[in-house]
Amino acid sequence: MGGPKTSRRRTDASPPAGTDLAAVHAAIAEYYTAKVRKFGASPPGADWTCVPTQEMRFVQLLKLCDFTAPFSLNDVGCGYGALLSYLDWRHGDCAVDYLGLDLSQAMLRQARRLWRDRPNVAFAQGGASPRVADYSVASGIFNVQQDQPLGLWETFVAATLDHLHRTSSRGFAVNFMKRSSPQGKTREGLYCTEPERWTNYCADKFGARSEVIEDYGLREFTMLVRR
Amino acid sequence: MGAFMIEDDIYIGTFLDLFNVRFAPVPPSTILDHQSVYGGIEEMAALQKEFDIFRTDRLFSDSAAILGLGGLYNARAKNRWFELLRRLPGNGDQLIADVLVANFTRKKPLPCYMKAHFLESRKSDQNRVIITEADNPLFYLEQEYLVISLPMAPRPRAAKKAKKK
Repeated sequence: MGGPKTSRRRTDASPPAGTDLAAVHAAIAEYYTAKVRKFGASPPGADWTCVPTQEMRFVQLLKLCDFTAPFSLNDVGCGYGALLSYLDWRHGDCAVDYLGLDLSQAMLRQARRLWRDRPNVAFAQGGASPRVADYSVASGIFNVQQDQPLGLWETFVAATLDHLHRTSSRGFAVNFMKRSSPQGKTREGLYCTEPERWTNYCADKFGARSEVIEDYGLREFTMLVRR
Repeated sequence: MGAFMIEDDIYIGTFLDLFNVRFAPVPPSTILDHQSVYGGIEEMAALQKEFDIFRTDRLFSDSAAILGLGGLYNARAKNRWFELLRRLPGNGDQLIADVLVANFTRKKPLPCYMKAHFLESRKSDQNRVIITEADNPLFYLEQEYLVISLPMAPRPRAAKKAKKK
C-alpha cells in the first residue's frame, strides 16, 4: 500500500442525492449483452481472457469468506454464473446459498440455462440485491468505464460500494484494475485506480478497515471489506 | 500450405503471437499502466502457481486450450492448430509442457517465445521441437527468452495434386 504521497483521503465520490445512474447501468448492460451474444457463456462472453484469470480473481475475492460453515452469497455482476463452477470445484463441501445479480438480461438467460438444476441458486436482474446476504462479491464490474465521465463513473462505484455494504452482513469484496500512481496513464475506456482511493472511502463512509490483496499476477487489486 | 492448417496456415503467426504475448517479458512499470492488457510471464507464473496449468502429465495443447491460446474467432483454425500441436514429432506436445513446467520452477521464470523453423525433410534432425534456453530471438529486444521452435513444412506437393483431383 502507498506511502505518504498517495495517502490522500478523498471521499467526495459519495453519490449526490438524486444522482441517476440509470444511463450508466444501461450502458453496462448493453456492453455485456453484446459480449455474451458474441461469445456465449464463456470467459470472453463476460469479457475475461480465459478461465484461469477469471478464477484467479475468485481465489482472491473469496478470501473474504469463512468456508467452515454454510453462508449466503450475493454475486454482483455475476455474468453467466462462472463463480458457481469455481465454488463447486474448490469449495464443494460448503453449502453456499447463492444469488447472482446482473444488469444484462441476455447474460442472465445464459446463467439460468446453465444452472437451472442446481439447488440454492437464484438469479435476479439489476444492480440492487433484494436481500441481505452474509457476503457479497463483485468481480470486474468497475473496470469497463467506456466513455462515461470519470466523475460519474466514480459516483457509480461509490453507489455500488454503498449498496454492497448495506446488503452484506459480514462483508464484501471487489476488485479494481490498478494504477501505480495517481498520475499514471490508463488505457482508454478502462477505469484504473489506486487502492487508497477506495479503502479511504470505505473507512470514512462505513468505518470499515479494508484488506487489500495485490501481487497475484494480474494488474489489479482486490479489496476485502469486513464488518 | 501446411498439412494440418491447410488454408488456415495464414493464422499460424497469430497463434504464435497469442502465446508470445501471454508469455512476454513484463514491461517496465513506467509503461505498465498504459499497456495494461496482459501481465506477461508474471501473470502466467502466478496462474501456474495457483492452478498448476502446465503439467508433466498434460499435453501442452490441452493447457493452451485452457488459456484461450487458440483465439476466439475461428474455431476451425483453432482446432487445426491444436491438432498440429498434438502431432508434433517426438512427443513435442508433451515436451513443450515439460519445459514450461521446468521454467516455472525457476525463481524468476524466463519469458517464453514460440516460433517455427523450416523442416526440409521429415528425416532431417530438425524434425523435432527445438528448445533453446536463454536465447535472444528478437534482435530488437535485449531480453533472454526460453525459445520453443516448432518444425513446419509446406504441404507436400503430392498431397496438393491429390487434392486438386
